Amino acid sequence: MLEIKGLHASIGDKEILKGVSISVKAGEIHAIMGPNGSGKSTLSAVLAGKDTFEVTAGEVTYKGMNLLDLSPEARAREGVFLGFQYPVEIPGVSNVNFMKTAINEQRKFKNLPPITAAEFLKMMREKMAVVDMDSSFSGRGVNVGFSGGEKKRNEIFQMAMLDPILAILDETDSGLDIDAMKIVAAGVNNLKTPNNAFIVITHYQRLLDYIIPDVVHVLYDGKIIKSAGKELALEVEERGYDWLINS
Amino acid sequence: METKYKYTPELPEEFKCKVPLPGTVQAFVTNGVLRGGVEIDGGVSVFAKSQNGFTYEAAKESNCKESLQIISFRDSNSTQDISFENDLLFRKGSDSSILLCTHTLSLDKFKTEEVVNIDVEEGAKANIVVMQNEHNASEHKVTFRLNIAADAHIQINVIILHGAILENNFEVNINGEHSFCDLNGLYLVDGKQSVVTNITMNHLVPNCSSNQLFKGILDDTSKAMFTGRIVVSRDAQKTEAFQSNHNLLISPKAKVYTRPQLEIYADDVKCTHGATSGIMDQEALFYMRSRGIGEHEAKLLQQLAFVYDVLEKIDNDRLRQRLNDLIESRLRGEFSHCTNCSMNCC
Repeated sequence: MLEIKGLHASIGDKEILKGVSISVKAGEIHAIMGPNGSGKSTLSAVLAGKDTFEVTAGEVTYKGMNLLDLSPEARAREGVFLGFQYPVEIPGVSNVNFMKTAINEQRKFKNLPPITAAEFLKMMREKMAVVDMDSSFSGRGVNVGFSGGEKKRNEIFQMAMLDPILAILDETDSGLDIDAMKIVAAGVNNLKTPNNAFIVITHYQRLLDYIIPDVVHVLYDGKIIKSAGKELALEVEERGYDWLINS
Repeated sequence: METKYKYTPELPEEFKCKVPLPGTVQAFVTNGVLRGGVEIDGGVSVFAKSQNGFTYEAAKESNCKESLQIISFRDSNSTQDISFENDLLFRKGSDSSILLCTHTLSLDKFKTEEVVNIDVEEGAKANIVVMQNEHNASEHKVTFRLNIAADAHIQINVIILHGAILENNFEVNINGEHSFCDLNGLYLVDGKQSVVTNITMNHLVPNCSSNQLFKGILDDTSKAMFTGRIVVSRDAQKTEAFQSNHNLLISPKAKVYTRPQLEIYADDVKCTHGATSGIMDQEALFYMRSRGIGEHEAKLLQQLAFVYDVLEKIDNDRLRQRLNDLIESRLRGEFSHCTNCSMNCC
């Protein structure tokens, strides 16, 4: 589904990704771990199409397409979803309006008519239940006045609404207490099918107790220095990153 | 601008305000002249003055459920510069609302100067929405002179959609205690348009409050000027006066000049002012685009979000929704140039 080959990316003169290669198949969950500053968030931002980063070399193929050629919105409509580490507040745009616009843009892309009000409400209710979100959230501005945990749940809610094919979750677990983390994990497990894939970026092994990855990658200094099964996460938790960096 | 001009042609056929809001009675002003008076049950009336201009009156202790919409337009029957004066009288204890719309029906070069004397008597409640939508060669200057008595409450919301040079001046005197004056405005300018707003809020007595919230979105080489002055006289203790002016610049060539001013002679008051100008929030744009919302749509959403808090001040739900739709189509560029009535508002 997703093939990243020798990806290099920089911001200004600073090279952050120095040749990342990852291959993700449908039905898989990949975890990317790594110390601060290793390039995890840059990788997710580049995949979602953020233009502050410049891709200097390498290629990314998604469903047979050159992903890097697509605008952020085109990627989203093709089923790529980025769960933000720091979800953005948009005062004045209600959650409901935001989601409705997003759903309808996606439907327009698929040559479907706009969603009816009844269908949309039903969908909202169902998906809010997935992340245990109060219905009062829907009328409020996007992420405005939300706590850290509520923002992250809102990301998972949006993911559930948009039903992506490839979801990249950038440190969705950071700043979450254990209950909120369980809700986020349950959301991911709920949405997992043999046809979609997840890339979960995390600092800690803790989240991976609830979301069981098929492959764990360790990213360090812009390169994948180790890829292995889920046991790698446990090893990292126990021994830190030094043994990998120095080996 | 001294020309007084009196002319009352038939209402042009092409001007049709097709769907008046329910609960709204309409009156028309053509080139400064009111066409026929209107009287609404509940004590509200509007009549032509002897020359031009009109007098609106909400009778003493009246409480009018219906609101009056006065549609004032310029057309090719009179292309001279005109000036006229209107009076809005909100009598003691009255409660009423009025919608003032200004349009141009032809593409002539118009100059209009208008004075609106607003008298809010003791305990009166007045709600005024002003909507200005004129074409690219229309210059319109309106001076609102407000006198506010004790225990009165007035709110004016000005929505500026289009026009060459639109100038709104507010000279407010708060003369009676425990009154509240709420002035809000929203201007959307593009092309070479400019919008000028001058406010003098005079707090002359104690225990009153005032609020000003003006926001603008500027595109192309448009300009906006905002000068807001709050004057709190020495006797006006316990005054609470707030002012903010925020501007969103869409184009690097758009310009905004904003001058917030406070002049305070009393020592027990609460006053704030704030003025900003900024560009689109790139983070928010990326966030929306990452959800599949196209760049154009994302920008539109952000602009609508920017002006949302001004619109929210309008408590008539239907009117607010109508204005919201208008603003949306305006921001989509759907009526950047005018045919017949520049409005497709109704």
